[in-house]
Amino acid sequence: MPYEVSFRLNGEPVTTAVEADESLVWVLRERLGLLGTKIGCGTGDCGACTVLLDGRPVCGCLLLAVRVQGREVVTIEGLGQPGRLHPLQQAFVDHGALQCGFCGPGMLLSAAALLARDPHPREESVREAIAGNLCRCSGYVKIVEAILAAAQAMAGEGAG
Amino acid sequence: MKPPRYFAASTVAEASDILTAEEGAYVIAGGTDLVVRMRDGLIRPAVLVDIQRIPDLAAVGGGDGHLRIGATVTIAALLESVQVRHLAPLLAEAAAQMGAVQLRNLATVGGNLASAVPSADLAPPLIVLGAVARIAAAAGERTLPVEEFFVGPHRSALRRGEILTAVEVPLSGEGSGAAFAKFGRRSAQVLAVVNAAAWVRLRQGVVEDVRIALGAVAPTPLRVRAAEDLLRGRPPDPRHLDEAATAAVRETKPISDMRASADFRRHLSRVLVRRALERAVGRAREMEQTHAL
Repeated sequence: MPYEVSFRLNGEPVTTAVEADESLVWVLRERLGLLGTKIGCGTGDCGACTVLLDGRPVCGCLLLAVRVQGREVVTIEGLGQPGRLHPLQQAFVDHGALQCGFCGPGMLLSAAALLARDPHPREESVREAIAGNLCRCSGYVKIVEAILAAAQAMAGEGAG
Repeated sequence: MKPPRYFAASTVAEASDILTAEEGAYVIAGGTDLVVRMRDGLIRPAVLVDIQRIPDLAAVGGGDGHLRIGATVTIAALLESVQVRHLAPLLAEAAAQMGAVQLRNLATVGGNLASAVPSADLAPPLIVLGAVARIAAAAGERTLPVEEFFVGPHRSALRRGEILTAVEVPLSGEGSGAAFAKFGRRSAQVLAVVNAAAWVRLRQGVVEDVRIALGAVAPTPLRVRAAEDLLRGRPPDPRHLDEAATAAVRETKPISDMRASADFRRHLSRVLVRRALERAVGRAREMEQTHAL
């Protein structure tokens, strides 16, 4: 493994060795054992591999791992904790927004990035934010409802 | 197969030196096209030269009657830039229809051109705005109109050792307006089946100047001059816009592929040129009125 890459992963510093043609999603799953991020199309079309790079959603399949040197990566494992779900995760559970669940990690991270930037999004903004995340089960209606509900819940928390 | 070597350049000169010295060296910016082509085995780079850590290339800046957009400015940054929205709103309009969030955060302005895909969404807008590509090499710098930057599918005018560093967009004068129109199979993440851009300048109710360009209907993005000639000096009424749109179709050379048939692309060319022209004329009229007030 010729290249050593150091970055922050879910808040913790990590260093790992990679080949220059290995994608970030592959390195996360196969070298670092974080299986939450999914590999779908591998061509940037489906959004299952979405991770946050310096707070912005990107396709982990299109990003070579060697290029995240010095940067901040957040995966679904960094969003909530077992027993203490992120409000978005709780809203997805409450609204039945996940069926097979394969799109869930990417969908949740796209939604988290949206709410960080725009805490009170309109439905149109929610749909725009998840346009790069394909869901083959839900028809998106419950996902959109869950994200809007989470925004409300988080606003309530902030006020309290 | 041997994986490529990777080099993160810190200056353009350094990147250019490696590209000149090494066989099979490729520039990587956003990587959204390159990484997929690597995975599909269409290209086998020996060296990847990462230009995204070169600070000068990531800036948007004004000056001297033009707006300069660095090659590694992402589509997201283009969309968010206040300068772009004010000085070249056509580019923001196109950026809003490119990819989805995850791609816009990676893909770059320079990559959209340098990949030389016939459907590149920024090509028709940059062509109708009269933008110029800045190209650097160890030997020095040269410029080339974006219109001449495309040579064929996946072939740009870049020579070995050269790097696209920026595009410069001349600021449009009073009474001008521009618009972008695209058709794809899904609203996000798709290559355009056809895209089109139009720029017009009106003077006393007549088209003083006009530029029209189409993408994905020929081996390179295409400027349709015969259609432009039909409009110059005429009032931009529905009949003349129709005639120009029909003339534009005659200049296209579309292919049939998995995304659409040649016939459908011809149909779309007419519809999208008509639509882009109508919106561009409307915006030019608004500009005229704003200035008259």
